[in-house]
Order: sequence, then C-alpha cells, then structure tokens
Amino acid sequence: MTPDLSEYIRSRVTILDRVRRILRDTMKLKIEPEAIDPDAPLFGTGLGMDSVDAVELVMQLDTVFGLQLAGSPEDFLKIRTVNAIVDAVLETHDES
Amino acid sequence: MSREDEYRALRYNVALSRMDHVGLLRLAGDEAIEAVDAICSGDLWVRDGRMLQTLILDDRGQPVADVYVCPDNDACFLMVEGITTEQLSAGLAQHVDPDLGVELEDLRPEHELLSVHGPYAWELMSRWLTPDIIGLPYLSFYRFDRGICFRAGKTGEFGYDLMLRSEHAEDARKELLELVNAFGGAEVSLETLDLCALENGFFSVRHGSVEGLTPIELQLQWRVSTRKRFPGVAAIEERRAGGIRRRLTHFVARDGVKTGHVLRGPEAPVGEVMTAAFSPAVGGIVGTALLDISVAHPGIDQFFVRDRDFTSPIRTVSSPLLLNRSLLVDPRRHTYSTREEAMHPPLWQGSLP
Repeated sequence: MTPDLSEYIRSRVTILDRVRRILRDTMKLKIEPEAIDPDAPLFGTGLGMDSVDAVELVMQLDTVFGLQLAGSPEDFLKIRTVNAIVDAVLETHDES
Repeated sequence: MSREDEYRALRYNVALSRMDHVGLLRLAGDEAIEAVDAICSGDLWVRDGRMLQTLILDDRGQPVADVYVCPDNDACFLMVEGITTEQLSAGLAQHVDPDLGVELEDLRPEHELLSVHGPYAWELMSRWLTPDIIGLPYLSFYRFDRGICFRAGKTGEFGYDLMLRSEHAEDARKELLELVNAFGGAEVSLETLDLCALENGFFSVRHGSVEGLTPIELQLQWRVSTRKRFPGVAAIEERRAGGIRRRLTHFVARDGVKTGHVLRGPEAPVGEVMTAAFSPAVGGIVGTALLDISVAHPGIDQFFVRDRDFTSPIRTVSSPLLLNRSLLVDPRRHTYSTREEAMHPPLWQGSLP
C-alpha cells in the first residue's frame, strides 16, 4: 500500500469510528459501533432514524467536525450513510 | 424500447413494471408475526399497516430471501424475493412452533403485483387511485377496492407496489400504462429495476454471487438481530467472532469491468468484482466488489482490473451513488407538467477514473 493510500485510509477510519460513536452515544442507536455498516442507510429503512434524529445529528456533526449543513436536499445526501458523512467531513477539511 | 430508454423513464419520469418474480403470501392467525419472527433475521418491530424489510438466511448465514413483512391485524402479508412459496412453507414447518395457530396462503393465483416508480410516481398514483396517496408514508400500505397499495420500492425513487386481485389486474394495467405514457414513461424490465437498485445500494438476491457471504460482508447488519435466535444465527456469530475480513464496496469504472474480475492494487490483489453493469447516469460501469477490509473504503483510485488485452482503473465510491430526482421533486411545489421549470442538478455528481 502506498503511503498516500495508507494516510487516506487512516483518516477515513478515524472519522468513521468517531461518527459511529456519535450514532451510538448521542443518537442512542442500540448497537455496537462496528455493527453500523458504513453504507447502511441511516434514515427510514436501515437504522431507522427520523427527522428529529437528523436535526440532532447535524448539530453533533457541526460541533465535532465543524461540518455545517443548511438543510437542503443536497445536504441530506451528505448524511444518508456513515460513509457519506465521512466523505463530507473529509471534503470540509480539504477545503479548509 | 431500449434498456436506456427504460432507465430514463424510471429515473426522470415514471415507470411501470410487472413484479412476477415476487412471491405474495399471507400468513393468517393471531400469532402470524411470531411465526415470521422465527424464520427472519431481523427484529420485527413493526406495527399494523407498516412494512419492514428483513432477510431469511440459510444455515451458513447466507441470505436466500429478501422479504417485506407487512402486519395487518390478525395476519401478515409477505412479499418475498429469492425463494419459492414451497421453500418458505418448508422453512416455517422447520422453525416455527407447531402450536402457533398460523396458516400460510399463497396469494399468487388470485393476485398480481404491479409496481410504479419514478420521481412523478406519486402524481400518477394520485390520479389513478386517490390524491390521499401522496401522504402515504414510506413503508406503509393502503387498502382500496381492487387490492392493496404498498409504498415501497428499491430504486431510490418514489415507488408503489400494487397487489391487485386478478379480475382487476388487466384493466388496472391498461389504465396505468395509459397514464405512464401520458407522463412520458415506459414499462420497464426487471433488469432495469435491478440496475437502479444497484446504483442506490439496495440489496438484491439477483446481484451477482452472494455465495459464501453473510449480512456482515454485505453491509446488511442492520437486518440482523442481536437479540434473538433465527436460522443462520450460529454462522453469523462465528463470523463476527472471527472479525470482519471483507466488505462489499461500490465502485465506478469507464468500461470493461465484469463480474468475477479480480481487483488488483499496486502490490497484490485486493478483492473480486461481484456485480457490474453499465449505468446511463454515470456513463460508465457501476458495481460492487468484495474487498479486503483494510481497503474497503470509498474514494480510492489505486485499484484496477486487468484482463488479457486491457487494464481498467476503478474508483471506489460511497453508496447511494445518485442524487435521485425523487429527493428533489416536492409534491407540494412540483408537477410533471412543470418539470422543465425546475432546475435539478445531474443525477451523478462524481467523475470516472
């Protein structure tokens, strides 16, 4: 594995673990963090979160990662799954 | 009509499809939900009138059926993909307490299933059935004089499955087709539905090989209970105890990538392509690969497929891949007739490697 790829994956895993902990500790999902699949849908079917959870999640992501979401449909894309959140956080960090 | 025309109908307008591949069953009896709970892998926390997606696993923990469970008073409707009614009946006989007073009824001889999908499916259905249908929540159902309307779908667009009594099915299909044509839509094949499911990350028993894979590798742990016993649970527990070694991950490529190709990294093979299909929205191949867990992440550009006379780079991506038009079309503000006034972004916002 190249050093660049190693570093990229290390960054992803760090953020992924943090997001999973937010979901378990703050959002009260009653499953172990490693059982939260990165591409599992968070809302509706999947992990069953609702619009109230979405508001709380957006606040947590702002507090922990500085990820600011305005609530547009495009922004909803960024929190559809754990992997989508990781993508958004990495993008925010790249921009800053 | 070409596959691409079908695809555009579904992604931009409306589409009608026969769902002959789906088993329609009704389990009758006060303890119907307990009987279903005994053979399904998920926690069946679902109330009357709502629907829940779950799986049936074999003894190796491998999914053999994708199931919608729909409780309805003293009965439970099941929509099943992957196994026959006879196989489901045998599973119930093997795993359900015989003292539970339940009876399995195959609804297929007297019912047919049609489905309507697309960003304007809600508008079509409001004209065909009732304007109230717009308020029907996702994963719930509604009875009407000719059958039951299930608000579901595995395409990422608005979706309605219509279970119709056979005597009404042909007339209903004609009426729906007329409306579909008026909405610039088309009748679409199962292959088009499967492609849309793949793009949106929905599990399908028809997506490539799932041989030897469990919900752990397939990123379907949310459909597996940690609280109850069910067929395949021992294999799942053993797989969990050993740690997750591989994970299904989506990718895009320009061309040439096929199911079964070995995915290579700079130094060694990293996985295998499980499913691959051409996506008109992406303008290239979309697929899933079973990757070593150490590299099973989106956003990686360093992997490729090599066949005899070509090398094709791939890029791993997050799922769902698309910004579905149904996320942007708002029944309170938009209609099919004013669709061109709405400036929607493209379905695919990424780039190919």
